[in-house]
Amino acid sequence: MLELTRVYHFSAGHRLASPSLSPEANAALYGPCYHPHGHNYYLEVTVTGSPDRVTGMAVDLERIDGVVRERVLDHVDHRTLEEVPALAGVVTTGEGLARAFWRLLAPAIPARALRRVTVVETAKNRFQYEGEAS
Amino acid sequence: MMEGHRAASTRRFTFAAGHRYWVESWSREENERFFGRLTVPHGHNYMLDVTVRGPIDPQTGMVIDLGELKRVVGETVVERFDHTDLNADALFRGRVPTTENLAIAVWELLAPKLGADRLWQVRVWEDPTLFVDYRGPDA
Repeated sequence: MLELTRVYHFSAGHRLASPSLSPEANAALYGPCYHPHGHNYYLEVTVTGSPDRVTGMAVDLERIDGVVRERVLDHVDHRTLEEVPALAGVVTTGEGLARAFWRLLAPAIPARALRRVTVVETAKNRFQYEGEAS
Repeated sequence: MMEGHRAASTRRFTFAAGHRYWVESWSREENERFFGRLTVPHGHNYMLDVTVRGPIDPQTGMVIDLGELKRVVGETVVERFDHTDLNADALFRGRVPTTENLAIAVWELLAPKLGADRLWQVRVWEDPTLFVDYRGPDA
């Protein structure tokens, strides 16, 4: 089993608020996270594969970098996550972002190569998503 | 990963080494077209996380004596690679020293010393933005 993980960084503003709840209920549920604030996020993208016998490369890292930049980083870096069209309807919890990023990335990464998406919200919080159960 | 009484211990090591991406059987043009700037000799401050797992010894309270792990990895891996040119190492004859292949090479060096049943994972960090995990050919 060989897994390769690339660590990316972005900074973004957000707030936790469910569209199905009243402002009072959201404030009670999410507490301080209901206030608009932001984080220095890290996004870890893990892919799996076997090193090519000739090139020694399991994945085309430049291609992965390009996909992550175009599909995620360019949309979220220095933005308010609630205003990002690609994240419409997403409650921007760490786990919600990890699942949303997985869904943005998976179609552009070779089949079955994407293993895990990890969102590091702060040094104390990590959220992993490994795809829909099949 | 943890069944029953199994536990895991991880120790971090560091070494600095040089390398470049180069396939001997290709021309310079082919290498440069495929690997780009990676064909230029350069280096990294590598980090290596070695994870060993097994039962916790009832007497010592340890999965492995971290002093023993430090000695084995130091002698087998760190001394071999630190401040060397990876491409010149016999392990990388006909094998490009990518992070993937380096992780596999580290596993192959350590598995006979630590036991493939005890060695659970090697993680090689090329830099703080890229790491490869390898858990052996059967995992």
